[in-house]
Amino acid sequence: MDKKASKSKWNLTPEGWNLEGVPAYQDEKRYTQVGRSVPRVDGPIKVKGEAIYTGDMTLPGMVYGKIKRSTYAHAIIKKIDYSKALELPGVLTVITGEEAPNKWGIVPQAANETALAVGKVRFYGEGVAAVAALDEETAEAALELIDVEYEPLPVLLDPFESMERAKEVLIHEDSPGNILHEGEQVYGDVDKAFAECEYVLEREFHTNYPQHGFLEPHSALASYDPQNGHLHLWASTQVPHYLHRQMSIVLEIPMNKIRVTLPAIGGGFGGKGEAAASEFVACLLSRKVGRPVKVTYERNEVFFTNKGRHPCHMKVKMGLDKDGYIQAIDFDNTMDKGAYSGWGIVVLFYTASMLHLPYKVPNARFRGRSVYTNKPSTGAMRGLGGVQPRWAMECLLDELAEMMGISPYELKMKNAIESGHTCINNMFVPHTEYKKCLQTAVEKSGYLEKHGKLSFGKGIGMAGGYYITGTAYTLYQNYKPHTSVMIRVDTEAGVTLFCAAADIGQGSNTVMAQMVAEEMGIHFEDVNVQAGDTEIGAFDLGSFASRLTYAAGAAIKMACVEINQKIKETAAGMLGCRADQLIIKNREIYSMYESKKRLPWEKAVEAYTSINGSLVSLGNFSPPRRKGIDLITGNRVQGANIGHSPTFGFSAQVHEVEVDVETGRIYVKKVTEAGDCGTPVNPMSVEGQVEGSIMFNLGACLYEDQKLDAEGKHLNPNFHDYKTPTTMEMPEMDTNIVESYDPTAPFGVKETGEGAVQPTFPAITNAIYDAIGVRFYNLPITPEMVLKALKEKKTTSCDCKCSKEC
Amino acid sequence: MFLNHFEYFAPKAPEETLELVGRLGSKAKILAGGTDLMVVMKAKAISPEYLIDINGVEEFKGIFCEEGKGAVIGTNTKLAEIQFSEAIKAKYPALAYAAGEVGSSQVRHMASLGGNTCNASPAAETPTPLVAMGAKVAVSSLSGDRELPLEEFILGVRKLDLAEGEMLTKFILPEPAQKSACRYAYMGRRDAMEIDCVNMAVNIELANDSETVMEVKLVMGSVYPRPLVSREVPALLIGQKLSDELIEKAAEAAQGEAKPIDDIRASAEYRREIVKVLARRLLKEAYAAAKGV
Repeated sequence: MDKKASKSKWNLTPEGWNLEGVPAYQDEKRYTQVGRSVPRVDGPIKVKGEAIYTGDMTLPGMVYGKIKRSTYAHAIIKKIDYSKALELPGVLTVITGEEAPNKWGIVPQAANETALAVGKVRFYGEGVAAVAALDEETAEAALELIDVEYEPLPVLLDPFESMERAKEVLIHEDSPGNILHEGEQVYGDVDKAFAECEYVLEREFHTNYPQHGFLEPHSALASYDPQNGHLHLWASTQVPHYLHRQMSIVLEIPMNKIRVTLPAIGGGFGGKGEAAASEFVACLLSRKVGRPVKVTYERNEVFFTNKGRHPCHMKVKMGLDKDGYIQAIDFDNTMDKGAYSGWGIVVLFYTASMLHLPYKVPNARFRGRSVYTNKPSTGAMRGLGGVQPRWAMECLLDELAEMMGISPYELKMKNAIESGHTCINNMFVPHTEYKKCLQTAVEKSGYLEKHGKLSFGKGIGMAGGYYITGTAYTLYQNYKPHTSVMIRVDTEAGVTLFCAAADIGQGSNTVMAQMVAEEMGIHFEDVNVQAGDTEIGAFDLGSFASRLTYAAGAAIKMACVEINQKIKETAAGMLGCRADQLIIKNREIYSMYESKKRLPWEKAVEAYTSINGSLVSLGNFSPPRRKGIDLITGNRVQGANIGHSPTFGFSAQVHEVEVDVETGRIYVKKVTEAGDCGTPVNPMSVEGQVEGSIMFNLGACLYEDQKLDAEGKHLNPNFHDYKTPTTMEMPEMDTNIVESYDPTAPFGVKETGEGAVQPTFPAITNAIYDAIGVRFYNLPITPEMVLKALKEKKTTSCDCKCSKEC
Repeated sequence: MFLNHFEYFAPKAPEETLELVGRLGSKAKILAGGTDLMVVMKAKAISPEYLIDINGVEEFKGIFCEEGKGAVIGTNTKLAEIQFSEAIKAKYPALAYAAGEVGSSQVRHMASLGGNTCNASPAAETPTPLVAMGAKVAVSSLSGDRELPLEEFILGVRKLDLAEGEMLTKFILPEPAQKSACRYAYMGRRDAMEIDCVNMAVNIELANDSETVMEVKLVMGSVYPRPLVSREVPALLIGQKLSDELIEKAAEAAQGEAKPIDDIRASAEYRREIVKVLARRLLKEAYAAAKGV
């Protein structure tokens, strides 16, 4: 056995002792179900095409809804005449915005969206009316018969223009300056720190306008029962709870009369992290016609209404002391909010919070504003609020390392945080293996041997990043637990977990089953999961902020305490020993001292249930709220709880690129990643998440951008011209899970779904610099930009310090 | 995204097809793979009253490739069949390669060679090498067939030299000359599901000395309303032994001839740059291949 293998926590002696001499029963890290690469529970049916998505469903009497969309990006609605549409045979009803004017929004303080536009449209393709008809074709034909009279207003597509022309035109009458929100956060004495710095660099960075690219378009099927006033909604959403809540507000129906059910979901990546007009329209139409109504978007409707990533215009200044330690960061961010608020305020302050990790930053100043424009609202997109500042900071560090004449790796290792770190903004990191991530990625890729030494056109770049593992508070003021689970054990259904969590394809149903099995000493295959239903499952906040594995894990551990205790007590009576001496492992209950005293786990369950009936237990999880309040003074901290998390995941990436210097095309050839996701509950799933994360942002870095014309009309609202990378563009990937265990986390887990998207932009950008000696400050980096930059470089003398013949 | 209502015909024989084409004229569209037709119909760009589905007509399918006799390819031959045909790969590698670069695998198993031409998109992949190799098309009607070079058949964006009652039925490829080679290349943002911003084919035939260019045809796609055959490149290269300087000059000449537009896929300026790069690369590649190196 080599040295590395002998250190692994999975290796046991034949007696069941691990090599540190700890008895197996005392080694809480020795897991059998957590850490298993089991295939996803939803995998086979999806691969076979048998999974049922909302769009696959039909109900008796079901009819179809379609939305009439604005052909202006900014206009007053003068008149809507749908009398001709109503005359079309097969048309049941037409609704307009006035029928449901209550405003909704995931952040209630700034809620300003309506189901359909009321009085005014603010982006191209905004819904102005909706039709219910017996079939989809009739519904579509009816849309053509709706006449809308508009009075066009100036279209503001650029946030700076939007602020400048705010006196002349306001997108929202109640938002002066066309600003949703602006804020400042200052920690320490930034100016003094800069004055004392040896190395100071300031740059401007501009990010692009990508969207999620999930495969399943938004789809909603609503069934309103006119007899009892109950509404049942099947929807493709990441946030059944927030959808439930918004639906109650817009339809004025109490939440206990609304049920949200999730069929199979074809991806979300944040794009289904708010309610959608399709959902409101399906419900409104169903209530009006008394029949089930289904609304499924075409792909162009997904583009028109998408809530993609905020374009950010960032001015970043960073200062290092003579030894290379970061002393100060000054960060100014203008975010393009699009038409409605959505997640806006939260995203704004996430970009502020992201400055404080994964490096030690003693002084930081953030100024930011989120500005309305006449575009689809930007919102949550994988790595929310982190990707843009991470790109800027990691590129800046690369430049600073060059200024200092040291390797970017050395600079990052020097500044990287360690476990138990408290940021100056009060954010607390209980555990990190970030340095191990940097080290692993650099060693495995041969970064130090290659950096600055490859031939012209070939380059290598590195970057790190982190992400939260859940949030610290609900978006509306409430202290309730963020996740509740109910576990039922009996001889009929076996073990069933009930939780309203949303498996949107990230695999939460699988890892929840693994964690239940682990905690109860049974097998993953023994656990049934009932999820994605607000009536059947106990409360869950939703699938966003990479929160679910941690939150569900903690709630499951709590629920299992009572169940295990009762089963052990029953078994203790049967075996003639004390309950607290019993271990449940591998579907068997046995005494830790007298191993002959053992019985099958299901015998004990049978004995318990034959006396008491089903065994049911609840567990829940509430996150710490440490960042929002200063623990010593008791004062509220700037930025409150935004950005805080129970723990954080980390990732480091090294990208190797080849640039065709004649055509400008960039080929990412190889990616070496090392991630700290705590305990990988399902290593195979982690690998999928990480590879997916890298491809996700490789796309946004080099290919993807939504284009609008001067009137705000989409130029590429389809996958033909909105180019995502294909498997042909997928580089060789070497992803590594570094050994990590967060002792404060349930099963030692952390996030993995969003941390690995963070280093991708800067690692590629830094690699391109290494290849051709050009630094890019705009995204996406296109072949045209590369050629142009190379031409300019030829005409001016090369002053880059790369040691290449360029 | 619904199609307009149309009448659907599924003839089983060429005569039956030509009779329908003759009778229905321009109110009808021919349905082969449908990978372009359905898209434009869904977008309501066209709303034909009749569709004539030719998938039941065996005579319109197939590759007939005989040693020394060129090849004849039926209009409804699937691109995947061309991509994987051993005979085509051996004799017309540029065509097999171009066919394999159309859309996705799913698309190539549906789409036909005739459709790729008749859709008359400037960015189409297969017309470029076909024109470079001197392919002709057979256009048929009830009153008989006529043959014309492919470059004269495609007139512009969605425009063909097709009279009422006529349809494209086959492609006729000449036998490649001794000491000749044709090569194809494209440029786009990605390597699958891509609409090229430029594509190009170069066919070079050498004299007996295996060095002097006897014939050269450079054809550019996506930089003009139809496949653009360079006039200046042959003028510069015929009778010459190629050198890097000469190739560079020819590439610049091709660049000067291209008349690309700005659109969402690329700027005209970038396309012109790429014309030069592809021309340089393809001239070198085809020259080397013709020499047998």
